[in-house]
Amino acid sequence: MTQGEPQVRSGPGRLLVAVYGVFALAATSRAGVQIATKFAEAPLAYLLSAFAAVVYIVLTVALARNNRRVALAACSIELAGVLIVGTLSLADSQAFPDATVWSGYGSGYGFVPLLLPVLGLVWLLRRRRPAA
Amino acid sequence: MTAAYSGWVIAAALLLALAGIVTAVRDRTMGVVLLGGLALLEVALLVQAGIALSGIGHVREKATFIGYLAGTLVIPPAAVWWGMAERTRWGPGVIAVAGFTVAVMTGRLMQIWNGAA
Repeated sequence: MTQGEPQVRSGPGRLLVAVYGVFALAATSRAGVQIATKFAEAPLAYLLSAFAAVVYIVLTVALARNNRRVALAACSIELAGVLIVGTLSLADSQAFPDATVWSGYGSGYGFVPLLLPVLGLVWLLRRRRPAA
Repeated sequence: MTAAYSGWVIAAALLLALAGIVTAVRDRTMGVVLLGGLALLEVALLVQAGIALSGIGHVREKATFIGYLAGTLVIPPAAVWWGMAERTRWGPGVIAVAGFTVAVMTGRLMQIWNGAA
């Protein structure tokens, strides 16, 4: 961290770290239980759950450590993931017999998974401009 | 776990979340009220965990249940630590998130306890 570089993690950023931390915890434990106990029932959905968990963990760590580039990349992947999985889960419910965090655009979690990457991107990009 | 007790825990957690939001809106940092509230919540959660663990044989999804239980216990101390580190309105903001999360997790604990998926 060099002097004068805008902080990603303090202020509103700290709120994002907290929420992402909760989601990382929730998604990891959910995916862990699903894969450990009933993986054969819906392998695709459970692998996606695990992938989502990894993205949330990376984001939490990147934000907490002020790593803007990694956070931006992970945020973009997250947004793409929510949109793609959300659309697929509605279009082809056969492939998703069990819910993932991102099913139905995160409707099982009050659409927070859809809102989070948008807020994250807004925060990360807004802080870039007044960097001087 | 009893619905009556956990109902009170959920109400207390939501009240704390509301206090956090009010403090953040008023642009204050974490004060004695939020700190005391978090401490009280942690004590209430420890009691809840004691009640729940004494009847753990009742629960079918033990791993998930214990995971949620442990999660609720970790959150208030984490919120205290963050509230102290972030001396702006966003400290209470994190506490609001913590209170809301504890309320949701306690709700999920009740569901698992009652046998819902």
